[in-house]
Amino acid sequence: MRQTTRQISRFGTLKSLLQRFAFLSLIGLTFALILIGKADTVLVERARDAVTDAVTPVLRVMSEPAAVVSNFIENLRELAAIREQNATLREANTRLLQWQSAAQRLESENISLRGLTGLVPEPGASFVTARVVADTGGAFAQSILITAGQSSGVRKGQVVLAGEGLVGRVMQAGLYSARVLLITDINSRIPVQVGEAGNRAILAGDNSLRPRLMFLDNKTAAAPGDKVVTSGDAEAFPPGLPIGQVARVDEGVVELEPFVVRDKIQYVRVVDYGLTGILAEQAGTK
Amino acid sequence: MQATVLERMDLAARRFVPFGVTLVLMLFAMTPTHIPGLSHVTPMYALMAVYFWSIYRPDLLGYGATFGIGVLEDLLSGTPLGSGALVLLVCQRVVFNQQKFFNNKPFGIFWLAFALVAAGAGLIRWICVGLAAPSGFTPVGQMLTSTLITVAIYPLVGWLLAKAHVKLLAES
Repeated sequence: MRQTTRQISRFGTLKSLLQRFAFLSLIGLTFALILIGKADTVLVERARDAVTDAVTPVLRVMSEPAAVVSNFIENLRELAAIREQNATLREANTRLLQWQSAAQRLESENISLRGLTGLVPEPGASFVTARVVADTGGAFAQSILITAGQSSGVRKGQVVLAGEGLVGRVMQAGLYSARVLLITDINSRIPVQVGEAGNRAILAGDNSLRPRLMFLDNKTAAAPGDKVVTSGDAEAFPPGLPIGQVARVDEGVVELEPFVVRDKIQYVRVVDYGLTGILAEQAGTK
Repeated sequence: MQATVLERMDLAARRFVPFGVTLVLMLFAMTPTHIPGLSHVTPMYALMAVYFWSIYRPDLLGYGATFGIGVLEDLLSGTPLGSGALVLLVCQRVVFNQQKFFNNKPFGIFWLAFALVAAGAGLIRWICVGLAAPSGFTPVGQMLTSTLITVAIYPLVGWLLAKAHVKLLAES
């Protein structure tokens, strides 16, 4: 009896020793991973691509119920406001018809003027539409996973838009899935211009809902309600893409309210403007 | 009496429950809920599962499994590689060390202990991500909100996990 107890206690000690060893070696491994990740090797990027590609179909299925519920609630809300919306749309339609004739006139004028000056047209942009299947990172990173990858022409650095404006940029492209770095992520930096005066600034995310404007030429020039669009500097984004409007100016801190509401994005457009910009420079220096 | 192949397969599947549930909760944290404002402060679901299983079934969710889930989370969510795994492992170690303390305690104590574990986990993750990211630290408020939401909904998730525990793992 005593021998059995001794054996059990010996076994217990051995087990706890093994456990401690496993814990310490795994902690060592996590630190090694943190260092490898910091070095930002191609290996980590490939691993992220492979895992994202493999898990995206699962996430796609999991995101379905929430999307259905959200669509249902949205439909109910729309149904309630249908009369009011109809009146607004009628009014907008009349106004747009006037704009249409103005646009047609300007277009024909433009064509004839281009013909006169011999302007070389800019290359057209092509785009892919993809579904958002994951909203990752929580409080620590702001990115989304989408269901289009290299097989549909998505490449790192391409611009991602939703109906209302800029969503972000493709940060990593797997074969069938891609990760989009949102404009609110702490690592996002976008050259922008503010208001009608077009003051240059850098839009910097900080993982909160509202990114901030940094290095604004003239801080007093920004006022709540000013529209912010991409400036096209550094050739990472084409100029003039709508991003949001200035929400608050307080003691030199200028906060922006993005046009795209992150919680509502279900589909995005990945646009290839043929820009290389900063990414090409980075690739060149590596 | 020898167990049949089916019985053995059934038992193996049941023993897989803690790992499977933790994995599903980790993925669930990433699915878009379309609830306004929540995507910036997603609760740490994987942490809740690791805490729960480390108390009730330490034999079925070991360090290796926890490490795997943490690394997978980091790879998928774009957070610095290793940071998620570190947090989950430390949480598990703390619970394993306090196994005697958790014996026959009322739910309130489990919840309070979880609040402490979650606060520690939030802080470690915040430091890890801040040190690894080139642009510095995320605002503290957001990390605190995420931790508070995690603590607030733990009773619900814990209740569901307890249901799974009783239904699927009672005999194994």
